[in-house]
Amino acid sequence: MPKWFTPAAVTCGLMFAVAPILIAAAPYESTMGLVQKIFYVHLPSAWMFLLAAITCGIASVRFLRRNDPRQDRLAWAAAELIVLFGALTLVTGPLWARKAWGTWWQWDVRLTSSLMGWMVAVAYLLLRKYGGPGSDKLAAGLALFGMANVPFVYISVNYWRTIHPTTNVVPTLPTSFGVPLWFSAATFLLLFVLLLRMRMRLEDQRATLDTLYLSMDG
Amino acid sequence: MNLFRAFLVLLVVGAASFDATVQAQQPPPKQQDEFVPIDELPAQDQLPAAPLLVAAYSFIVLALFAYVLSVARRLGGVQRELERLESEMKRSGRT
Repeated sequence: MPKWFTPAAVTCGLMFAVAPILIAAAPYESTMGLVQKIFYVHLPSAWMFLLAAITCGIASVRFLRRNDPRQDRLAWAAAELIVLFGALTLVTGPLWARKAWGTWWQWDVRLTSSLMGWMVAVAYLLLRKYGGPGSDKLAAGLALFGMANVPFVYISVNYWRTIHPTTNVVPTLPTSFGVPLWFSAATFLLLFVLLLRMRMRLEDQRATLDTLYLSMDG
Repeated sequence: MNLFRAFLVLLVVGAASFDATVQAQQPPPKQQDEFVPIDELPAQDQLPAAPLLVAAYSFIVLALFAYVLSVARRLGGVQRELERLESEMKRSGRT
């Protein structure tokens, strides 16, 4: 692991310990009350979900153009993070919605496109695991669809009728809501970088192992 | 077999009409475009929201912990395999 990894992991741990204090100190929202505090983990999870989809997509484009195996490994690592952060988003969202909207799920554009993006990542991982030779290129093509879905997920709430809050909520947040949100977002971003590096390390080691086996066969 | 199919169709139609009735009874709340802070939590809000909040935070912590553990275990396995292979290659005189 690189030298920065351990200090960054310690910092991330400390930030995760401080975040609940800031979230608890934040005021309650007027219409949703206590349950709105899910917002401070739901939104950063959703941002990391979309960031992972973009990372996976860009790495896949580079892999398809240059045939660089390192980019393929990065895409694979990011795809796992799409599934992880997507699961966090898709579980915390309904828990919030149950109280705020009176229902666990709505088949509106934001929720449905998010679920689709998550399923594309699951399909990517299944393809990599069971697809056999050549599945790396097929999976890279699939990742492009996952990335193309990202702007659609983001802007959907502004163009289609839905009860999901609009993208206008974050820019107009009062400081008392904004501080815990941005602190939580920074914590999740650092965690994302650490997990991506850790997962990349695993793929790098696997590649070294494959090279060693091939050299033994040769 | 036909009875089973008829039962399935009835089940699907019944579930769809029940869902439609429930949705018709609950008008969707208005879409929000800003959050307004308040100092006091409304009394009726305090208990029902807590289990959902606890469930959300618990899921986040458990899922992240499980994922870190899973990557660490996989990494450990590959690392051990690498070391075994390298020592095997050294023993057999390959580098």
